[in-house]
Amino acid sequence: MSKSWKLFVWLLAAVLVLSACGGGGKSSSSGASGGSSSSSSSSSSSSGDAQDPVELTAWAWNVNVGALNEAIAMYQKDHPHVSLKVEDIGRLDVYDKLSTGLAAGGAGLPDIVLVEDDRIHGYLDAFPNGFANLSELGFDQYADLFPDFKKNLTSLDGVFYAMPFDSGPTGMFYRRDIFEQAGVNPDSIETWDDFFNAALEIKNKTGVYAFPADKFKDDANFRMMMNQLGVYYFDKDGNIDFKNPKVIQAMNNMKRFGDADLVKDVNGWDGTVSATVDGSVATIPFGAWYYGTIIDQAKETEGKWGVFLLPAFEKGGNRAANLGGSSWMIPASSKHKEEAYQFMAFFSTTPEVQIMAMEKYGLFPSLLTAYDSPLFTSEVSFFGGQKIWQLFSEEMPDIPTPYYTKDYAIAFDEAVKAQADVFNGKDPAQALAEAAERLASRTGRAVNEY
Amino acid sequence: MRTKAHVPYLFLMPAIVLFSVFTVYPIVYSFLLSFQTGAGGNMKYAGLANYRRLLEDSIFWKSLSNTFIILAVQVPVMLFLALVLASMLHSLVRGRAFFRISFFMPAVTALVSYSIIFSLMLAGDGLVNQLLEAVGLKAVPWLSHPVWAKAAIILALTWRWTGYNMMIYLAGMQNIPDSLYEAASIDGAGKIRQFFTITIPQLRPIILLTAILSTIGTLQLFDEPYTLTRGGPSDATLTIWMYLYQTGFRYFDFGYASTLAYVIVVLIAVLSFVQFRITGGKD
Repeated sequence: MSKSWKLFVWLLAAVLVLSACGGGGKSSSSGASGGSSSSSSSSSSSSGDAQDPVELTAWAWNVNVGALNEAIAMYQKDHPHVSLKVEDIGRLDVYDKLSTGLAAGGAGLPDIVLVEDDRIHGYLDAFPNGFANLSELGFDQYADLFPDFKKNLTSLDGVFYAMPFDSGPTGMFYRRDIFEQAGVNPDSIETWDDFFNAALEIKNKTGVYAFPADKFKDDANFRMMMNQLGVYYFDKDGNIDFKNPKVIQAMNNMKRFGDADLVKDVNGWDGTVSATVDGSVATIPFGAWYYGTIIDQAKETEGKWGVFLLPAFEKGGNRAANLGGSSWMIPASSKHKEEAYQFMAFFSTTPEVQIMAMEKYGLFPSLLTAYDSPLFTSEVSFFGGQKIWQLFSEEMPDIPTPYYTKDYAIAFDEAVKAQADVFNGKDPAQALAEAAERLASRTGRAVNEY
Repeated sequence: MRTKAHVPYLFLMPAIVLFSVFTVYPIVYSFLLSFQTGAGGNMKYAGLANYRRLLEDSIFWKSLSNTFIILAVQVPVMLFLALVLASMLHSLVRGRAFFRISFFMPAVTALVSYSIIFSLMLAGDGLVNQLLEAVGLKAVPWLSHPVWAKAAIILALTWRWTGYNMMIYLAGMQNIPDSLYEAASIDGAGKIRQFFTITIPQLRPIILLTAILSTIGTLQLFDEPYTLTRGGPSDATLTIWMYLYQTGFRYFDFGYASTLAYVIVVLIAVLSFVQFRITGGKD
């Protein structure tokens, strides 16, 4: 009797100990939070001269992986003891893994993680202790190297939590040959009205769509148009702005192209890329980073591409907008915070690194000192000799700041639903008003009335 | 002898420990979480706030009704189809193994590849629409129209799971004595009559089993809407399980996500009980 009781207690104790390992970890530096990599056995986080080898791990996706790998090679010239293992994980999977890891107190997270600017504040709000305080590590000294809108996105209450990387000044990537075939001069397009007429012309003559959109799952075009008009899901006080006439104007613009069957419905990123490659769309409105995908995936169309800025909503109106862009964060659970910070600070503030990332991967830098490079006035042969980097860098100062807030993901969800309703025939103003009400009840935020 | 009494427990230890850590602990912890609000790292006890929120959450009700619409249409259709296929295969003399494998294949197909292939085939300019247009029909907005999107999900689910249920029925049919069919045919009952008056009643407990399994599976439906439609258009295919996932991993609201999980648990328990009562009375 006493023996089996003892056994039971022993079992229970074992279970408790094990489950404590699994679920505990409020203190981010607990021993159980080892990364997935086999980091060097000797502890090396001391700031002394110890040059024990350190292997950092990073999560990133797409072209960012290559940029990171080349940057570490540059960094290793002066820091031979630091090595980097980059895990190429899909964009959304990074977020899933990051959320799960943060919720588990930092278990299994890498030392460096790429996060898009629109998500940073959401993560900081949800996991206030989840990320390393970069101001404490010394990043404030670099603050003046970046444009204001990027600073706002990477910091919270004056404290940096992310190191700015690329931005996405937008443009219409277009196929010169398709425009020529239809007899449309891209230089003559100044407004969305101009573009609409040109798109009709192109569709009639060549059967090619104006632009691709993941009509029922993504609203990238809509977001660019909103940003261009100086509005977004939220205003700067965090109130829901779906009923703003300018937001409705942007949605009406989408509807107009949809109704005229000028929008090619594509399935996600892959669908957009295949439309880019197979020439079924005349333009792709996207951030500057799409350059990297075009030169990578559509090699055989070299020389046939060009870029012009988003058309304005009225003659002489703003044509600058931003889509995407990302920054680097260091999870607080990292065992090599200092080393990770040193490397990423090098990455973010060294013009050579940023220019490499842009030249080879099309990742447009936010680092102001990088714009002095002759690259920014060079002619890009893939784009028919156009000075596309000059176009994008000159666009940068005019980009209005978008307000994402922590509820960005929910607002995005509602905006996509509104867009889906519009493409299925609903009136844009009504669809947006309904989305505004749903968003208000989901977030407890006020809706701006007009 | 007493000293050896603990030996079996030692052998059970690994299983008990793993079960406790990976099953019991999460179950208990998520139950506690379902009474907490907050996001990500900082959670606070809030009593029944999450359960109250549930009642007023229109998206929750929508996802629930979507799930039940899919359940009500898909499960009966699939099970009936599986029964018909099974009895046809059962009476087959030659090529039985070939057809058995062919029909079962979808159930072992990798989920992601199957979903991607379906999303390609059902896309606006995909294979299915090209075929429809080739025979003079109109293209169907499979993934973008609220009703058709549900149909697409039901189609995909049925393709994937009919063979699986068919295999279970086939196994069950081995236990139906041939003498019953012989007697029936002597009495002049045709194949169809035999199917409804012998096969189905004899398979009753197995049909109950598959109905419960399919119901549970459909209540937990996630992969197909996630990969085919992302729950859209405009939440038309958002299932409760997918809403749970979004709430937890997109919006970091783990408390509310746990509440949703417990709603699903209760639903599964109630539905299984009801099905048991209706179909399983005699056993």
